[in-house]
Amino acid sequence: MSSQNRYTVTPTVSVLAVMKGRLAGATKGHSLLKKKADALNMRFRQILRKIVETKEEMGKVMKASFFSLAQAKYSSGDFKHTVFDSVDQASVKVRASQDNVAGVKLPKFESVKEGGGAVDSKLGLIGLGSGGKQIQECRKSFMSAIDLLVELASLQTAFLTLDEAIKTTNRRVNALEHVVKPRLENTIAYIKGELDELEREEFFRLKKVQGNKKKHAEAAAAKEAEEAAAAAAQGSGTVANGSGAAGAQQQQQQGDILGVQDADIIF
Amino acid sequence: MSFGEDTWEMCLFNVKDGFLEGVVRGYKQGLLSTADYNNLCQCETLEDIKLYLTGTDYGPFLANEPSPMHTTSLVDACTRKLVADWRYLRENAGEPLGRFLDYCTYGHMIDNVVLIVTGTLHERDVQELLEKCNPLGMFDAIASLAVAQNMRDLYRLVLVDTPLAPYFSDNLTSEDLDEMNIEVMRNTLYKAYLDDFAAFVHRVGGTTGEVMGELLSFEADRRALNITLNSIGTELTRDDRRKLYANFGLLYPHGQAELAVAEDFDQIRAAMEKCPPYQAIFSRLGLGETQMLDKILYEEEVRQLINTYEQQFHYGVFYAYMRLREQEIRNIMWIAECVAQDQKSRVQDGIVFTF
Repeated sequence: MSSQNRYTVTPTVSVLAVMKGRLAGATKGHSLLKKKADALNMRFRQILRKIVETKEEMGKVMKASFFSLAQAKYSSGDFKHTVFDSVDQASVKVRASQDNVAGVKLPKFESVKEGGGAVDSKLGLIGLGSGGKQIQECRKSFMSAIDLLVELASLQTAFLTLDEAIKTTNRRVNALEHVVKPRLENTIAYIKGELDELEREEFFRLKKVQGNKKKHAEAAAAKEAEEAAAAAAQGSGTVANGSGAAGAQQQQQQGDILGVQDADIIF
Repeated sequence: MSFGEDTWEMCLFNVKDGFLEGVVRGYKQGLLSTADYNNLCQCETLEDIKLYLTGTDYGPFLANEPSPMHTTSLVDACTRKLVADWRYLRENAGEPLGRFLDYCTYGHMIDNVVLIVTGTLHERDVQELLEKCNPLGMFDAIASLAVAQNMRDLYRLVLVDTPLAPYFSDNLTSEDLDEMNIEVMRNTLYKAYLDDFAAFVHRVGGTTGEVMGELLSFEADRRALNITLNSIGTELTRDDRRKLYANFGLLYPHGQAELAVAEDFDQIRAAMEKCPPYQAIFSRLGLGETQMLDKILYEEEVRQLINTYEQQFHYGVFYAYMRLREQEIRNIMWIAECVAQDQKSRVQDGIVFTF
């Protein structure tokens, strides 16, 4: 188990609980972000398809518009400056708004026609002597071209913003999946390992203590047996007396040992 | 026209104007023929067009054009050819041919004045505006038009010295100068110009008066028709519309009265068809095909212009040469645009063949 890829923590039960909490959070976040990335991707593809469609249409409309400009020029000469001079305010304005996709704010543009009557009547008379119809046709087709252009701009901007957002989200998803989660898992495994180790140590120590106790008890029993044998060898007269005294002494000693041992032994 | 006057004209025309008539008939030979147009239609790029035109009268003017060609530079080069020809004619002209030639260019002069005046009112750069002016309509004082800050000054300081002064003073009051829609003003001036031109050729008389009378009345009628067509659905009232029609022409006065009240294309058509020459034009036009009308009118004009060369000893040929060249430049522009925009299927729609 790699000891590098984990947090430096003290392996305790409380830290383990914290880590487990963090892992649960990371998993939840990961699944949420993954959903967001999927939503963004779906929108991304949609926009892409629309961009392709709009661009193709744009090509057609622009071609038609410039051809109608050529037609207008054919029938009324160069009317550029006349148009320049009869325009005082924009007749098409672009309004920007925001669209929300899975928490990502996408800019959105709309073209708004303004002015109306005043501008129309002024421009309507251009080319009165010759070619007025063609100029109006030309104006109409360029109007539709502008609408498309604004739509395309809106899509392109959304496309770029979305692209950026998708990149960030994917980076987060990957970071959670490949860095944060493994690290947390490693940490948890490490803490668990350490705790197990501690437990085993404790168990071993207990075993040792128990073993020692047994040894002591056996040694004491052997000594007693020896003493008893020696007393029996000295004389049977003093047996009753001696054994009575020895018995009392031994009892007292045993009580002492229990009292001392009590503090250490849990059970 | 008496026999004596006719003979007098034949005897004496060449004394003063014979040389220039020869020159202009020579120029006319340089106009592109149907075969030329067919070849031009086969061109794949603007370079091809340039290459082909280098072999025509436009050659010297196209030779120094830098290589990435644009439609505008092509048209500019062709216009330079017309301007050079015209200048040569004007420099060598005596009276009254000189005045006649001047009259031919007043139309462009009106456009230029209107261009500069509106440009100045919107504070555009004078130099840029001057470049945009039609070179045929240039006059010495044109740059000083930009000096005037309001219309009254403009008239008092500048326009009064130009040949256009009477058109301004007779038809526009100083309030009009400030308030009138620029297009209405342009067409008012143009109407005054056409009336004046018609009166002038009438004074010159003879074959000139006859030939030019026809051409100008066609021009007047065409303008009336165009103004009517283009003013349907705009804020231009009937009375205002009526004021923009010239006071002569085949439609004058009854046809114009009908045009003035026409509200849609069918009414216009009904008004025009009462006049036999226009009945023929409109009969070529299918129902509802307003788009083709322009081309048919151009074709009719070209036919009339070419007919002027059938007669001799008159000034109509000069006017006809200018208009034919202009039509030819329009044709070249159309071909170039079609080639540049990859719309070669439409190329036949805009060409008016001359010869």
